[in-house]
Amino acid sequence: MNNRQGMADTQVTKRDGILSEYNPNKITEAIVKAMRMTEVGIDKELAEKITLKVTQQVEKSKNTYSVEQIQDLIEKDLMMSSRKDVAKEYITYRQKRTEERLKQSELFKIGEGIISGDNEEVTKENANLNGESYSGKMNRFGSEYSKMYARNVMLPKRLVKAIDEGYIHVHDLDHYAVGTHNCIFIPFDKLLADGFQVSDKGSVRTPNSIMTAMAQVAIIFQCQQNSQYGGCGASKFDWDLAPYVTKSFVKHFKKGQMYFGETFVTVDIEELNVDNTDLLKVFPKSYTYALEETRLETKQAAESMIHNLNTMASRAGGQVPFTSITFGLCTSTEGRMISEAILNASMNGLGHSETAIFPQLIFQCKQGVNQNLGEPNYDIFIKAIECSSKRLFPNFVNVDADFNLQYYDPTKPDTSIATMGCRTRVISNRFGEVYQSGRGNISFNSINLTKLGIENGVVNGRTEVDVNGFWSKLDEILDITLDGLLHRFDIQGNQPAKASDFMMQNGSWIDGEKLHPNQKIKDLLRMGSVSIGFVGLAECLKALFGKHHGEDQNVWYFGQELIGYIRDYCDKKSDEYDMNVTCFASPAESLAGKFVRMLQKQYGKIEGVTDREYLTNSFHIPVYYEIAAHKKIDLEAPFHKLTNAGHISYVELDGNARNNLEAFKNIVQYALSKNIGYFSINHPVDKCMSCYYDGVINKECPACGENSEEKISKIRRVTGYLTGNVNNFNSAKRAEERDRVRHT
Amino acid sequence: MNISGYIKESIVDGQGLRAVVFFSGCYHNCFGCHSPQTHDKNYGEEFTESKQQEIIEDIKSNPLLSGLTLSGGDCFFSAKEVIKFVIKLKNEIPDINIWVYTGFTIEQLMGKKDNKYKLLEMCDVLVDGKFEIGLRDTTIKFAGSRNQRILDVKESLECGKAILLSLDK
Ligand code: SF4
Repeated sequence: MNNRQGMADTQVTKRDGILSEYNPNKITEAIVKAMRMTEVGIDKELAEKITLKVTQQVEKSKNTYSVEQIQDLIEKDLMMSSRKDVAKEYITYRQKRTEERLKQSELFKIGEGIISGDNEEVTKENANLNGESYSGKMNRFGSEYSKMYARNVMLPKRLVKAIDEGYIHVHDLDHYAVGTHNCIFIPFDKLLADGFQVSDKGSVRTPNSIMTAMAQVAIIFQCQQNSQYGGCGASKFDWDLAPYVTKSFVKHFKKGQMYFGETFVTVDIEELNVDNTDLLKVFPKSYTYALEETRLETKQAAESMIHNLNTMASRAGGQVPFTSITFGLCTSTEGRMISEAILNASMNGLGHSETAIFPQLIFQCKQGVNQNLGEPNYDIFIKAIECSSKRLFPNFVNVDADFNLQYYDPTKPDTSIATMGCRTRVISNRFGEVYQSGRGNISFNSINLTKLGIENGVVNGRTEVDVNGFWSKLDEILDITLDGLLHRFDIQGNQPAKASDFMMQNGSWIDGEKLHPNQKIKDLLRMGSVSIGFVGLAECLKALFGKHHGEDQNVWYFGQELIGYIRDYCDKKSDEYDMNVTCFASPAESLAGKFVRMLQKQYGKIEGVTDREYLTNSFHIPVYYEIAAHKKIDLEAPFHKLTNAGHISYVELDGNARNNLEAFKNIVQYALSKNIGYFSINHPVDKCMSCYYDGVINKECPACGENSEEKISKIRRVTGYLTGNVNNFNSAKRAEERDRVRHT
Repeated sequence: MNISGYIKESIVDGQGLRAVVFFSGCYHNCFGCHSPQTHDKNYGEEFTESKQQEIIEDIKSNPLLSGLTLSGGDCFFSAKEVIKFVIKLKNEIPDINIWVYTGFTIEQLMGKKDNKYKLLEMCDVLVDGKFEIGLRDTTIKFAGSRNQRILDVKESLECGKAILLSLDK
């Protein structure tokens, strides 16, 4: 092709609107490229002929052609030529390019949203991450790209389709591609006793006092957090830490002996413990001194641990670790000291006595241990009630619920049910012994039950429920959901131990330390659980029958049948794939809002189904529905038994709960008596930052009249964890909080 | 007799979870009263037989309740009719625990053996005294101003003087 004189004047408009010089060579190249893909192959002559034709047309025209228009001309000429095969390839090539551009622009838009902070759903996706901070934005960049990559490159196509249609949500999609797992209970007893390694930076020795032990707990939490995307917890914190209280006691006792000159006899180390009353008789001063110092040290240790856990950010984005501490059953003096210290420190709060967001506290309730007057830890239970009435936690986990009691062995603390703050739990284990620490949930996907309801219920013009249609669609969606989990598990399991270095190196995950850094973790990871979760049972039932499970007994039965069906499916698949597959009452963070927006686009606003800004969490009775507290408990209780991957029920209290511990305690114990597995009470925890008034604040502080929003802190609960300020919620969460009807 | 409201479950009207009936009518005219609309005897809805029965059934079926609170208004202004309701209630739930809020002081109510006295006798706890805005205190439990007292009615009647209730025992 000759590059003839005079052509330099011809220009084309590029996609970004900029004018550029017309270059016929590019046309020939593109056609040849398309020819190369065909069976017949390249016909250079034809390519040049078409180029000439296009060039003449472009030059003749008074208007400037756009790239797109030129491509149209090429396409047309190819179609008219003898080489239809080339035309076909050319069209495919164009489409592919268009798609790629689209993807790039999607990424571009995401980027814009992150930088400007305009896209609330992105910046506020996680209520505990400041999406408007520099590090928060960096974090979002990585995570949005990683989501896009997973979607377009890795996910099973069937799953992508189901996600796009709004049936399924894959949680923490940003961690899919790299294979991170969800959460873990850390065996603190083991890590503290053996010491631990922090990658290649150095190692930490077993602590010799409770102060150091609690400091190490914070470090372990922080290091561990980088090996996973979900929360990390302690399943039996009082038992784990008690030995270090003893160590402190020994230390103080020996010091006391020296100070007070009570060194006349040396005592065997085994004899040196708080409960040895002989010590008090023989060494009255040293014993009293040691006991007092130990108590004080434990208290200070707990305080500084809580400060640490609320201030040290791990992961990019300035996120503090999502930490949970389960405790309450250890009845030794040392164990009780730990429990008391944590509760006292939480009640005192942080610097200006603000409510500490972390660690989430979970109190284990057990008849015979802490539920009635006269039982050894009853006083701690009462303190837990008081703390919860002030700070929204502890939550209460029910060791006596039949589905938990079956695993309980009083001689093995790790068999008393514990949960993550967000409600995840692992206790049953098809691979043998029952234990919790050293494993956790691997990942979970949630099903949008409401959509299935709308498709088959008495809405959208249908007058009769299509029950068969409902079940068969559910079967299909369950299969796709599980497929996704197994596919993800494959990616997760094929990671080498070194990818989650701290976790495997130190055996936070059971037996991790036995793996070579390059060894795959699949067989160990299998000890955890994969879970099928669900959102919007209430709206599903409403769509199916016109009533939700709070409104009609038969609908309530159907709800149980439905969740029972999902549970059975999980049990069956556990056997089939030799995995712990469990049924989950999902915490629905931003999902409740996302699902409903999709449904509104698809079906419009259906009364009682899609007309709010969120779907109701898991199996809950809708937050806007007026119902007495005991009824809510009665109605939600049977669902706890079915959801073995985790669950929680709430009752909302209106008014200052800390002034009415009797009511608080009665409600908690009523819930426990109804076989509820995990329970908590929501109530307003407000604080005026001008005068530090604690209580319920509506529009203005009742003590000093402060009414500026920034000066009034409102702590609320989201997905089980607390969050610092209602203003950090995304719109769906704000709407849900606004609609919550107090049950009292 | 009218009531200006009924709450199935409350944590701010006495110890434990309590049902609350707000009776219409009050002539104390406390400055700063937070529900002046209830001063009118004709405010709200009529406290019909069926409404009374409904509330009694509600209380009976709620295992979480620690009792009932009579609030207002000030129910001592309608003592005669309130007594009838309380008798009906006690027939069905003999050991029900009753708190009552009033602008009178217990000394005023114990003064003579009239209907006010009779109503007082039927209750367990009395939160007494007018709301005094100058003594307003947002930190005290179950009361609005510092002059108000939470009294153990049985003890007070027995001793012939105001005896404070020990809370959260
Ligand atoms: S007694 Fe109560 S209702 Fe009556 S005026 Fe005083 S505060 Fe208001």
